[in-house]
Amino acid sequence: MTDTAVQPAASGKPGFFTTQTMQKAVAFVVLVALLAFFSAFASNFATGANMVGIMQATAVNGVLGVAVTFVIISGGIDLSVGTMMTLTAVMAGIILTNLGMPLPIGILGAIASGAFMGAISGAVIAKLKIPPFIATLGMMQIARGLALVFSGAKPIYFNDTPNYGLLSPESSISKLIPGVEIPNGVMIMFIVAIIASIVLNRTIIGRMIFALGSNEEAARLSGINVDRWKILTYAICGGICGIAGLIVSSRLNSAQPALGLGYELDAIAAAVIGGTSLAGGRGTVIGTIIGAFIMSVLTNGLRVMGVLEEWKIVVTGVIIIVAVFIDIVLRKKA
Amino acid sequence: MKKTILTSALALGLAIGAPVFAQETYFPIIAKGFSHQFWQAVKAGAEEAAARNGVTITFEGPNTEAEIDKQTDILNAAIAKAPQGLGFAALDSQAQVPALQKAADAGIPIVAFDSGVESDLPLTTCTTDNMAAAAAAADGLAKAIGEEGKIAAVIHDQTSATGIGRRDGFLNRIKEAYPNIEVVDVQYANDALKATDNVKAMLQANPDIKGIFASNEGAAIGLAVAIKESGAQIVGVGFDSGKTQKDAIMDGTLIGSVTQNPVGIGQCVVDSLAKAIKGEELPKVIDTGFYWYDKTNMADEKIAAVLYD
Amino acid sequence: MTDEPSAVPLVEMRGVEKSFPGVRALQGVRFDLRSGEVHALMGENGAGKSTLMKILTGVYQPDGGEIRIDGQPVTLPTPHAAQALGISIIHQELFLMNHLTAAQNIFIGREPRKGLGIFVDEAKLKRDAAAIFKRMKVDIDPGAEVGHMTVARQQLVEIAKALSYNARVLVMDEPTSALNETEVEHLFAVIEDLKANGVGVVYITHKMDEVKRIADRVTVMRDGQYIDTLPAAQTAMSTIIQLMVGRELADQHRATGTGTAEEVLRVEGLNRGAMIRNVSFALNRGEILGFAGLMGAGRTEVARAIFGADPLDSGTIHIHGREQKIATPADAVANGIAYLSEDRKHFGLVTGMSVRDNVTMASWRRFLSSGLFMQDDALGKVAEEYVRKLKVKTPHIHQETRLLSGGNQQKVVIAKWLLRDCDILIFDEPTRGIDVGAKAEIYRLLEDLAAQGKAIIVISSELPEVLRLSHRIAVMCEGRITGELDGRMASQEDIMTLATQRSSAAA
Repeated sequence: MTDTAVQPAASGKPGFFTTQTMQKAVAFVVLVALLAFFSAFASNFATGANMVGIMQATAVNGVLGVAVTFVIISGGIDLSVGTMMTLTAVMAGIILTNLGMPLPIGILGAIASGAFMGAISGAVIAKLKIPPFIATLGMMQIARGLALVFSGAKPIYFNDTPNYGLLSPESSISKLIPGVEIPNGVMIMFIVAIIASIVLNRTIIGRMIFALGSNEEAARLSGINVDRWKILTYAICGGICGIAGLIVSSRLNSAQPALGLGYELDAIAAAVIGGTSLAGGRGTVIGTIIGAFIMSVLTNGLRVMGVLEEWKIVVTGVIIIVAVFIDIVLRKKA
Repeated sequence: MKKTILTSALALGLAIGAPVFAQETYFPIIAKGFSHQFWQAVKAGAEEAAARNGVTITFEGPNTEAEIDKQTDILNAAIAKAPQGLGFAALDSQAQVPALQKAADAGIPIVAFDSGVESDLPLTTCTTDNMAAAAAAADGLAKAIGEEGKIAAVIHDQTSATGIGRRDGFLNRIKEAYPNIEVVDVQYANDALKATDNVKAMLQANPDIKGIFASNEGAAIGLAVAIKESGAQIVGVGFDSGKTQKDAIMDGTLIGSVTQNPVGIGQCVVDSLAKAIKGEELPKVIDTGFYWYDKTNMADEKIAAVLYD
Repeated sequence: MTDEPSAVPLVEMRGVEKSFPGVRALQGVRFDLRSGEVHALMGENGAGKSTLMKILTGVYQPDGGEIRIDGQPVTLPTPHAAQALGISIIHQELFLMNHLTAAQNIFIGREPRKGLGIFVDEAKLKRDAAAIFKRMKVDIDPGAEVGHMTVARQQLVEIAKALSYNARVLVMDEPTSALNETEVEHLFAVIEDLKANGVGVVYITHKMDEVKRIADRVTVMRDGQYIDTLPAAQTAMSTIIQLMVGRELADQHRATGTGTAEEVLRVEGLNRGAMIRNVSFALNRGEILGFAGLMGAGRTEVARAIFGADPLDSGTIHIHGREQKIATPADAVANGIAYLSEDRKHFGLVTGMSVRDNVTMASWRRFLSSGLFMQDDALGKVAEEYVRKLKVKTPHIHQETRLLSGGNQQKVVIAKWLLRDCDILIFDEPTRGIDVGAKAEIYRLLEDLAAQGKAIIVISSELPEVLRLSHRIAVMCEGRITGELDGRMASQEDIMTLATQRSSAAA
């Protein structure tokens, strides 16, 4: 330490085996192991149709997981993602079916209403200093209540907008590349993930989100307008919930106002399994998507194997704890 | 501290003040939920009967059918208002008996609906015979697949009386009446999206399935979506109604469904309560009926009247 | 007092070895402690003091060497085992439970029971705690919640806790870092008392004057090795420093320049509650203005107020002669003001982020393409440039800043503000937690910055530091500036006189 030679500041990039890449790798290995296990032991698991089914079952949770990943990295939490999804689906229904407006307006309306509600959560957290857990717990109920009120507690159907029901389950890519029968809902999830990844890693928004989650006070004292970025973070989360709302309502060809409660916990679980730290400052979108896949592969595989529903729930719980434990072990090593 | 005292005093004041309403005849109706189409139809029937009998009602229920504790809270609050009668659809046929006992002790007539309560407290129970209704669904499904082959069921809940009743009614009927039909899988899903993915996994695990029964509206939506997405050539049978299910039956995705008479249940509750306070005798159980419906009879007046969108 | 070595030392450590992956933390280190002495353990950060003490208190296991207590070889597999042998440590950061009382903290986990052992005997708990406090001759209410106490009193509770374990060996890690002068005096009185009762105290510190004041012997470590043990009274400070750093330091260097006559910052009539009272001063280009005073005199509060971190009741701030409204740190930064907090880990650095991101953080918006995308290559280049300029020791710019030493962390924070073109730099305790060698480097850096035309405020509780750096010294007491001194001529006594010039006027 005391020798006078000044170490040159080498321009080395971070090593490949940083904690983040490790965690992603671990989650990925778990996913591959699960796929291998079920392929070997569950007949009819490893078929193209089932893989498509798994992807479709991942789409909604994956997108909600990405939404909540933004907020968790920023050091917050959003418990309203599930019911926010419901509310945005209802908004799409009102715009398209009740008001009879064109499809693009319905899509934008769903995303915008999610972003707007998210911004409200963010403002309540940033300006009124309400802890995120409480603020979004409130928002969860508000969104659920509004979804019921706006819809008259009845599903809204999209029969007047025939293209709407095709939005999510159709496979546009199979028309471009024959044989790749990936439904649009799944493609939307991947696109959301790629864009979210770019936003988090390449843009100032992402850099600010990581800074907020790592040390909000230091960010504030660096002259950063912390409140504004926080509101933006929750707005982004809400907007992505809007995309989830479109996927789910298109698939069911109806906005179901009673659906969505409890989805927030699955989304948070996907993020956590994927290595996002609930303490903030650490996490990746890819990890969350892998986490969401782990959950749906597990559910699907156990179901195909004929394991009782009750045990599937238990196994999912175990996976969450194991994932976080691996995270802790890896962090200690780093 | 002061605040708490103040709020409790306020609450107490409200509770005491509530009987002022009791000048007119008031029946709180407590359902298992309210956001579901089925309960909206029950509510409509109850409101119609309330207007006819000249009484006031309120219609409440918890957010989900799992929230037994919340429903008990609603029940206790309703009893505290000292109403002239009480309509109650128990989420748990046993757990809520003590709370009901309080109402009975206060001399409030009780009418159970939708699912029964394991006690003598209710004067009557307005309900669909879930076992019999599900058996009708089993008959419909069996007939459509030629009374042989593998089938499965997706049930909306594994703990509630309706879930258990419809599951057992369906399974028992198959076992007793159709020896060549084998039930290979029973899955549970409490919303339409989960039902969709469940059914698809079920079809994956058992590609030779010939038919699937879905035990409520949400499960039936999921069944219909799954059949469409997978393109599977199977017979789907639903329960209750709703636009998606009706459309699915019209376009052949589902072969048919069993409807309860939710409007009739709502009417029965309020009518029975009105009779009770007049001192009329009531039968132990009032079966509000169910109907098997498919493409052929959906437009019948009798059927169309109990279907909802 | 203990000039005559007793036959058998209380603690004797010989040939202690400890390695961590990639580092030989201790190499053949020896250390002994006699009953009734204060033995100062000195060395730069990373010299191995903490590791040695962690071995003595059972936190780490040595790879080799021998530990004897009262001449008997012992092993200390756990902190609990060390405690059982009467060895306790008072950490720099206190480990007390804020919502419990002093007595509950002292006997946590060992509460006297009553009523079939189900209930805690609170009365006995209080009595026992009171007895310990009485023995220490301190006036602390055993029933008072620890969270409501000053740091000094909390520390006394920690000492009482150690004594309740019948501690014969007490390790104190920088115990005065958060205490004011009076509190330090009080602590020293307690330590003298412990000595008189035969307790051996290992005293880890960076402060030379304290060593002179309280220690009997000094052991110096450097780079994980034992260097020397000397009698404290007869050894010159410069000798000790020389041993610690392994090179000569120009002692008692004083500020020379004066700054320019160009006024950069002027504050007038600042008020904020009782902490800032009618504070006015000016700062010129190229000048280093020292802020001296006791803990709680309001210096940090003034800095935070000027920086917009806390709201003001009244007062005006003029930058380059023009009045500016500064309501948030963002406003301050826009006006070229930077605040470098003493608590770098909480307020200065995002420790989980890289050197690159920390250096560029306040300037991210300058490195955007299409107003959205970060130009990471450009960020990297500019970070490299500042790392080189300020001689930040880091393997690469992607290193997380939590892994850097205190001095290098401070340089990263300085780089952040230089890159942001801040020309008014407010340093709050710039060398806290930084070892002696790195301190000198930080001093030189501040002088260079002033010479380049930056206007600098240095808040420091270490008088030698204020005198070493400041062209001009403002002294605060109870929220007001009680006087200004010429840094080139002021003495420690001058400063202390002003720093204790209490006003009788009630606020």
